[in-house]
Amino acid sequence: MSDMAIEARGLVKRYGDLTAVDGIDLHVEAGAIYAMLGPNGAGKTTTIGMLTTLVQPTAGEARVAGFDVVRQAKQVRSHIGVTFQDIVLDQDLTGRQVLDIHGRLYRQDGELRRKRIVDLVDLVQLGDAIDRIVKTYSGGMKRRLELARGLMTDPSVLFLDEPTQGLDPQNRTSIWSYIRDLNRQSGLTLLLTTHYMEEADALAHQVGIVDRGKLVAQGTPSGLVAQLGADVIRVRGHGDSAHFVEEIKRMPFVERVEFDGDSGNVSVYVDSGSRRLVEIVGAGGGNGYSVEDVTVARPSLGDAFLHHTGRALRD
Amino acid sequence: MYATYVIWSKHMTKFWRSTEELVGLALQSVLWVVLFGVGMRGMVADVGGSDYMSYILPGIIALSALGGAVGGGMVLLDERLRGITKEYLAAPIPRLSILLGNASSTATKALIQATIMLIVGVLMGARLTVNPLGWLAALLLLALFAIGFSGLALAVAAVSRSIGGYHGMIFLFNLPLLFASNALYPLSVLPGWMRVIVLLNPTTYLIDAVRSLAFGVAPTLPLLLSLVVVLLFAVLGTWLALSLFRRSIRV
Repeated sequence: MSDMAIEARGLVKRYGDLTAVDGIDLHVEAGAIYAMLGPNGAGKTTTIGMLTTLVQPTAGEARVAGFDVVRQAKQVRSHIGVTFQDIVLDQDLTGRQVLDIHGRLYRQDGELRRKRIVDLVDLVQLGDAIDRIVKTYSGGMKRRLELARGLMTDPSVLFLDEPTQGLDPQNRTSIWSYIRDLNRQSGLTLLLTTHYMEEADALAHQVGIVDRGKLVAQGTPSGLVAQLGADVIRVRGHGDSAHFVEEIKRMPFVERVEFDGDSGNVSVYVDSGSRRLVEIVGAGGGNGYSVEDVTVARPSLGDAFLHHTGRALRD
Repeated sequence: MYATYVIWSKHMTKFWRSTEELVGLALQSVLWVVLFGVGMRGMVADVGGSDYMSYILPGIIALSALGGAVGGGMVLLDERLRGITKEYLAAPIPRLSILLGNASSTATKALIQATIMLIVGVLMGARLTVNPLGWLAALLLLALFAIGFSGLALAVAAVSRSIGGYHGMIFLFNLPLLFASNALYPLSVLPGWMRVIVLLNPTTYLIDAVRSLAFGVAPTLPLLLSLVVVLLFAVLGTWLALSLFRRSIRV
C-alpha cells in the first residue's frame, strides 16, 4: 500500500486525430495540494476527467485513493469529490437542497446530511443564503456552494477544476483560504487545475506545468523558480532584439536569457540583479536596440512557465 | 435503484415548486378536453354507439402523455447541456438510474395530467365504466405508454446538441403518432393503406385498450394484443434511450 493519493502512469487521451493528453505521469502524496498549471486547452480538464472516471483513458493507467480509475471506477467515485470548470448547479433548488440531494446520491443518512450541511455552510460562509434559490446567488456564492458540495461526502481526494475562474480577487482569496484550511485541518488531498500563476503559487505544495498535453516540469513552487537563477532583469524595448539577446548571452554572469516573441520582452537571469543592471542596459544602447523599460525582480512561476514552454502564460 | 428514487424526487421537488409548470399543465389538460371535446361534439354525435366525448378522451390523454414525454426529454437535455449530468456521472450510482430517474418523473407527471383530464372529461359528459379495476388498468397502460414515448424523447435528448434540434426531431415523432392513429376517428372509416400505417402505430393499441377498459367502448382490436404491443413499446423505448444515452456518456 503506497501513501500516494493519486498515481498516474502514461495517461493518454485521443479524440480522433486530436491528442488532448499525451502521456502524463502524476504522483500526488496523500495530504498534498497539487496544482496543474497551464493555459486553456493544455489538457488539464481532460486529465481531471480521466482521474475522476468521467473520461476513458486511451492508454495508460491511474489509481486514485488506491483504486484503479477504470476497473474500480465505482470505488474511486465514492472516495472523491469533484468541482467542474463550469458552474454545474441546479439553479431551481435551494443551496440546502443541492447539498442534501448530493448526500442522498451517496447514500448518506438524514442525520449525517444535516450535520454536514451545518458544518459546510459554516466553512464556506454561506449563512442564511443556504435556504435561498441558487438562481439568486452571486458567482462567488455559487463557487462556494460547489466547493461545499464537493466536500459533502467527506472525500479523501478533492478535484477542483479551475476553482476560482471568473471570480473577483476578494472571492478568489477567500476560496484559497478555505482550501488551505481544509488541507491543514483534515489532511485532505487536493488536485486543482488553474491558469493563474498566483493561485498555484499561493496554494500548492507541488506544481506541475502542463502544456500541449504533456507535463513539462514538476516541483515545489520555490524549487521551480530557484532553477532559473537568483534574479531576473526584464527588459522591454524595440529594435534588433535578436542581436541584443546574442550580445548579453555572451556576458559571463548571465545564466539564461529568454525571449518572449509575443510581447517582445527579454528576461535575463543573473546572479544579482541590482549589480548587473547597468551592464545589461548598456548592452542595448548603440546596437540597433533601444531599451524602454527595465525591472529587476525575483523570478516567478510565470517565468518558470515561460522557461519550460517557451511561451508566456496569459489569462 | 435508490439513486433513481433520489433523481425522481429531485425532479418532482422542482416540479411542485414551479408554479408555471403546474398551472400550465392543469390548464392545458382542461383546455384540451373542453375545447377539443366540445368543438368536435358539435360535429359528431356518436361513434359506434358511444358518445364522442368518451370516444375521444383516451386519444386526448394519449396526446398529453406525448407532450409530457417531450417535457421529460427536455429535463434530461437541460441537465446534459448545463453539465448537471456530470454530477451524477461522478457519483457512485449506476448510469441506468440517471435515465430511469428521468423516465419515472416524466411518467409521474403524465399520469397526474391524465388523471386531471379524466376528471374533466367525466364532468364534460364522458361515461366511465363502473369498473375501478378497468380504470386502474387503463392508467397502468398509459404509464407504460408514457415510459415508451419518454424513452424515444430521452433517446433524442441524449444525442441532441441543442434545444432547437431536439424539438425539431421530436416533432417528427409527435404528429404522426397522434394523427396516424385511431385517436380522432375509428379505424373502419379509414382507407386501406392508411389503416396499415395506423396499425403500425402503438398509440392505436393504447387508445383502443383504454377505450374498452375505462369507457366501455367495444374494442376493435384484441385486448391482449393491445397490452402486448404497449408493453413492447415501453421496452423498446427504454432500450433505445439506454443505448443512445450510453453512447452519449462514453467519452
